Amino acid sequence: MNKQAVFALSVLLLSPTLWADTGSKLLATGGITSFEGSAGGGITPWALIAGYASQEEVNATANVQRLDVGEYQLSTYGAAVGAYDRFEFSLQKQSLDVSSGVVTNVFNAVTGGPTPALIAPSTKIEQTIIGAKYKLFGDAIYDANPFLPQVSVGIQYKTNNSFDNSLALYNGAIPAPNTGVPMLLGAKEGSGTDVYVSATKVWLGLANGKNVLLNATARYSKANTFGLLGFGSAADDSYELEWAASLAMFTGTNTIVGMEVRQQADRLGGLASTDTVTDFFITYLPSKEWSITAAYVDLGNLPFQPDTSGLYLSITANL
Amino acid sequence: MKYLTLLLIGITLSACTSTAQLPANNNLYEEIGGQQTLSKVFGLALTRIYNDPIIGHHFTGVPKSHLRKHLTEQTCELIGGPCVYQGKDMVEVHTDHNITDKEFFILVEYVQGAMRDIGLTVEQENQILQKLAPLKDQIVYR
Repeated sequence: MNKQAVFALSVLLLSPTLWADTGSKLLATGGITSFEGSAGGGITPWALIAGYASQEEVNATANVQRLDVGEYQLSTYGAAVGAYDRFEFSLQKQSLDVSSGVVTNVFNAVTGGPTPALIAPSTKIEQTIIGAKYKLFGDAIYDANPFLPQVSVGIQYKTNNSFDNSLALYNGAIPAPNTGVPMLLGAKEGSGTDVYVSATKVWLGLANGKNVLLNATARYSKANTFGLLGFGSAADDSYELEWAASLAMFTGTNTIVGMEVRQQADRLGGLASTDTVTDFFITYLPSKEWSITAAYVDLGNLPFQPDTSGLYLSITANL
Repeated sequence: MKYLTLLLIGITLSACTSTAQLPANNNLYEEIGGQQTLSKVFGLALTRIYNDPIIGHHFTGVPKSHLRKHLTEQTCELIGGPCVYQGKDMVEVHTDHNITDKEFFILVEYVQGAMRDIGLTVEQENQILQKLAPLKDQIVYR
């Protein structure tokens, strides 16, 4: 873990003692933090506003997350502010470690497999995501109409900081100057904006007295693999609609289990083809101060990674 | 796409189940021990609510026994028990009290806590809250 992540983690662990008041909303009603920083499930935003701020309050959350998928490790951390149960602002840093083997394979594949083969060290793909969310109408939990969900619109502005970072080989040579992994794989842009609409509904005491949550999110995006592999491609530079859905159930008073799916439009094709992402998660909320989520995630497809499933861990602290 | 279709089927199914479940569950009232249990829950919750530094002041001049009786009656009716709420209209009694969102949540936490302390199961608690939650709009900022 890098220094910044360690710092974020320390702030996070100290925070419950520093900030006594987490906001007034009831346990779990702020959701957890998705890997892109917006309050939600793990792989998609929900319509819920981050944190426990009521209509009169402003509160914040901080998070650290980690996903291990074979040759890829995604570390991410960030913070969000929820204001008046209406607005949400988030800032998330992502860092994807890509193994030497994968970078080497990508290099050789896109340069036509020269002899002797190029040998590249591992690299990091870094991305910054600035998010904003606005609750349009409805209340996921308290609305008198059992069919009217809470609906929010959101935006995620993503900057891939490694889009055009030169990749050096072990011998110091730079075969493709100012060309990072996303560009090598055919991405056209280094930044992009996703826009989404989420609808979330919670039914209290629905299935044998259990609380059940359902979320659907429609996203317009140009991102390749969430933006980690850049945005758009030479062949396809248009926005496409991608759906995501989550189904979750409370078990007991402070545990939630659920599953999620998220579609991805495939622009790059070939090595960097994208496929539907799925996860099964369990969240434990020992108190309103913090929660921990473990999930089994399948990212669908990643370059040179035969098994794209792995373990995801995520901690959200409520400030 | 396959998963998404499955999930959409799930969505539709759960929407249907929710319709089927919406009428009051008659067993719930008996299962929890009827009015006696509800009266215990609200007795305990109100003792705590009346002493709360943030929301206690809203109840100045309201006899606790009176409120306890009405809340018991109302919840009894909502969960399918043989009662009829005799109290005033919800909007009317809350009008001009300027009850905030935050205050509402504090109250719900006390009711939730009392249900747990009296010994209701989480499932029973959720089903009771299912009936009480929609009242929020008649209480907050009236």
